[in-house]
Amino acid sequence: MAIQTAPVAMATASARAPRRPSARRGIVGTIKWVLIGLLVLVEVYPLFWLLMGSFKTQDEFFSKPTWALPESFDLTNYVQALTTGDLATNLRNSLLVTVPSLFLMILLGVAAAYALEVMVWKGRNGILLAFVAGIMIPGQMILVPLFTVYFKSGLTNTLWPLIITYTVMGLPLTVFMMTAFFRAIPREVFEAATLDGSSMLGSFFRIGVPLMRNAIITIALVEFFSVWNDLLIALTFTTKSSLATVQVGLLNFSGEYGSTEYGPLFAAISINILGMLVLYLFLNKQIMTGLAAGSLKG
Amino acid sequence: MFLTPPTRRTRRLTTLVVAAGATAALLAGCADSGGSTGGGDSATAFSLLTPAENKVIASELTTLSTGQCSAENTALPLDSQTVAQADVVQKITLLASQDALPVQFVAGTAQVKPDGDLGKNGLLLDYEKTLTDLGVWDDILPAAVSTIKSVYGGMVSLPYQYNIEGIFYNKQLFAANGIQEPKTWDELVAALTTLKAAGVVPLTEAGNQGWPITRLIGNYIFRDLGPDAMKAVKDGSAKLTDPEYVKAAQAIADLGAAGLFGEGITSRDTDTANAQFLSGQAAATYNGSWFLANLNDPAQNKIGAENVGFMPFPNVAGGKGDSSQWPANAGAAMATSQKLYGPKVGDWLSCIATNYGSAVMKDQGVISGFKLNTPVEDVPPLTGELQGIVNDATQTVLWFEALMDAKTTKDAQTNVALLISGSMSAQDYMALLQSDLDQAK
Amino acid sequence: MRPAEGHNTVHRVLGDKKAILILLGPALLVYTLIKLVPVAWSFGLSFFDGNPLGGFTFIGFDNFVRFFNDPQAIHALGFTVLYAVVITIGQILLGYALALLYVFVLKNASNFVRTVVFFPAVIPTVAVGLLFRSMFAVGQNEGPVNAALDAIGLGSVDWFASGAGTFIVAILMELWRSMGFFAVLLYAGLLDIPEETLESARLDGATGLKLVRHIVIPLSLPVLLSSVIFSINNSLKVFDTILALNGGGPGTETTPLTLYMFNTVFSYSDYGYGSTIALVLTILCLLVTVFIFRSARRDITRN
Repeated sequence: MAIQTAPVAMATASARAPRRPSARRGIVGTIKWVLIGLLVLVEVYPLFWLLMGSFKTQDEFFSKPTWALPESFDLTNYVQALTTGDLATNLRNSLLVTVPSLFLMILLGVAAAYALEVMVWKGRNGILLAFVAGIMIPGQMILVPLFTVYFKSGLTNTLWPLIITYTVMGLPLTVFMMTAFFRAIPREVFEAATLDGSSMLGSFFRIGVPLMRNAIITIALVEFFSVWNDLLIALTFTTKSSLATVQVGLLNFSGEYGSTEYGPLFAAISINILGMLVLYLFLNKQIMTGLAAGSLKG
Repeated sequence: MFLTPPTRRTRRLTTLVVAAGATAALLAGCADSGGSTGGGDSATAFSLLTPAENKVIASELTTLSTGQCSAENTALPLDSQTVAQADVVQKITLLASQDALPVQFVAGTAQVKPDGDLGKNGLLLDYEKTLTDLGVWDDILPAAVSTIKSVYGGMVSLPYQYNIEGIFYNKQLFAANGIQEPKTWDELVAALTTLKAAGVVPLTEAGNQGWPITRLIGNYIFRDLGPDAMKAVKDGSAKLTDPEYVKAAQAIADLGAAGLFGEGITSRDTDTANAQFLSGQAAATYNGSWFLANLNDPAQNKIGAENVGFMPFPNVAGGKGDSSQWPANAGAAMATSQKLYGPKVGDWLSCIATNYGSAVMKDQGVISGFKLNTPVEDVPPLTGELQGIVNDATQTVLWFEALMDAKTTKDAQTNVALLISGSMSAQDYMALLQSDLDQAK
Repeated sequence: MRPAEGHNTVHRVLGDKKAILILLGPALLVYTLIKLVPVAWSFGLSFFDGNPLGGFTFIGFDNFVRFFNDPQAIHALGFTVLYAVVITIGQILLGYALALLYVFVLKNASNFVRTVVFFPAVIPTVAVGLLFRSMFAVGQNEGPVNAALDAIGLGSVDWFASGAGTFIVAILMELWRSMGFFAVLLYAGLLDIPEETLESARLDGATGLKLVRHIVIPLSLPVLLSSVIFSINNSLKVFDTILALNGGGPGTETTPLTLYMFNTVFSYSDYGYGSTIALVLTILCLLVTVFIFRSARRDITRN
């Protein structure tokens, strides 16, 4: 159970560290780094094991110990993963769905939150409640009616059902978090802007959105991964394999019992993870600049 | 995967009454909105929906569309799509309620039965009548017809696969341990015990799938109580909680308790189980004829196809059934839409009936329920042996869950892990399934 | 505060009807059409028996009676609650501990650790499920966990043969996957605490845990609260990972309400009863959220 206890112990030890006399500091410091090393190991080893597995042959899986390194680094499994499962298409579909969904979700969500929190009018609390209640509603509850609606409107066989559904599924949390962030901004900021003569729409774009930069990045982060990782909606509204997202593709891939072996399956997972790693390293930079801007503001 | 078809089934909604009044307002126009009917083809393509996990049907039909069936394909082009096995019932329910079924599609077993949602609404083509009219009914093997009719209650599926099941064993390992092919259940258990002592996995199964284990329960019941034993349960003239049925579950639970499935049986998947047998780590496996694809592939089969023996599920001493009654299934239900049927679809069906059997045997080494109209050369010996059994089979039995509703089926397959790991008693297991059956009535 | 004579202008502009319509209208429209209407539709279905193909029959409250007499449903409800409680506690404790680690120990050097620990959150959940299934595998294709247990003499465990074993793996998997995510979420909240506040607290003699308890936690309460709500609502709706790990098995030992609902609707074509299960889950989420809000408010007023 090292996963559970290590960080807790680490944090308590480390929180004290700066205030201790230097003799104990050395010991505490060592323990601290050992525990941090352990934490990193726990997070990284499964992925390393997976990556190594992606180079193994079926024989190696069954005859060699599980921690053994692969005998060679040839790419047979990767070739098979790319030819058996259509991973490039899956990744493209996932991106084509996720990016517009996020954009719409944040645009609509931030605007709605601004109207609900910053502006003053009757009934806004009721509507806010209606949005927030949506957080608690399981996606399962809306699938059946939606399938009917999308079908009748001729949207099936496109990626639109996914984009629309994700946008709406993400709205409650976006609105909820954005109103919380707007609440944290002193009202004087907006009141001052109105006195300077700017309209509400103007101050939304000139003051509201820039102030929310940090929060927008946070919510984009949250929603990106919940959209990217969704299986339920993608599975329900994906009518052809050429529209399959990563999750659906992976599920189908692992189901091909006749042809799939561990190596290609691990390779397929590795490709997905590597793709996410590239994206993540890029995003990570964005997150950091956003957070830095946020802390400057504070 | 080939075998999941019988494992996913819709619940038989016996309580269902066709909507009236209030419900019509709720889902107006969904249940039975009229489509085009009549003589001409309303379909603009030979749209096909197959399970994503089973590539054989779609790829073979694609091959036919550029070969023997190219004329049919020009008239009505093949448009092939797939659906994940787990989503079949959901997708078909929604498509059918939207009047948007493809021409030919996979469906849940319970859906295509006469009292199922598709059967009840007259959405399915009767292949027997249609193929007879087309003059190609003789291209369907009688054994396949009998299996399809007894599972689905009518000829509503094409036998793109026809599988018989039995125990594949490693001849070398049997010989090395002085074991003859077991003829009775007791001999089988004794043989497996010997093999366990020799340090191999005696009988490997894909335990996480559930069905390979419930198959053993079913076969024990059929051997002990006769081929109609599960029909009696369905009719209500027998209960799964009757001692003779519990005895079967107990026999399989005992295999688990004795460790005869090897370590990690409940989480073992199909690939692992197959690899164990194909690499010689396991001495035997209960499996179906679809396993031939792996057995005939030298890259996978390290023990050599010549070292693989095939035996029926053995007799149970004093039982009413016998080992000549092979367990058989015809894969997932592959139905054709009654509404979309027209002359061009008929041409496709004729072409499939005439050519599919030989083509799929030649291209993929798969046994189907279609007659081999063109002799196929170089059939691997083991495949030939099984094809011979299929051709000669006079009486077949179904499988444990064949006549159960979807929920009972799922509970049977998921809870069997608890049965063989000793977490659930045979009595409790059968009681759970019987209560599911009672609920479905 | 600006001069009082601006007050009327402020109210007029802040209450600009046209701006409200432009800002809120689109979101409200799609939200109503795609969420509220379908929810009402589904809610209606829970009083019916049947499916879109076979037709529906009005049966009043029979589905609700059935739910509370259905041992599998009750078990799924119990499992859902247990899982959500354990996961929420784990996610918040570990996430908060990591966030404190980033802010107060690693400081500017936290980038690498933060990146590494966060990374599993971006891996597709199906992949994580398959990965952990292999990691904890037993038998011929033994995974590293059992290999390690063997090596230290404890003997391997067939994790997926029992509900308890699967539950443990599911918990470890989800915490492994998501603790870095919650850490970053909470980290953003901690960064917003002004350095001067912390410095003056330190000057007053608050250090270590005391500083955390009296200054850091109260100041990060809003983000902590949203994290708890986010965590519990997500874990009450757990689906993908459980499905990919062991399919809710063995038996139905680790089947949450979502999976039971999914099977009921999409495998058994029992739309009415499935909608009832979804409704129970929705009510559960609602109650839990309201409960957290209430107790949080009490906490704040007490402080």
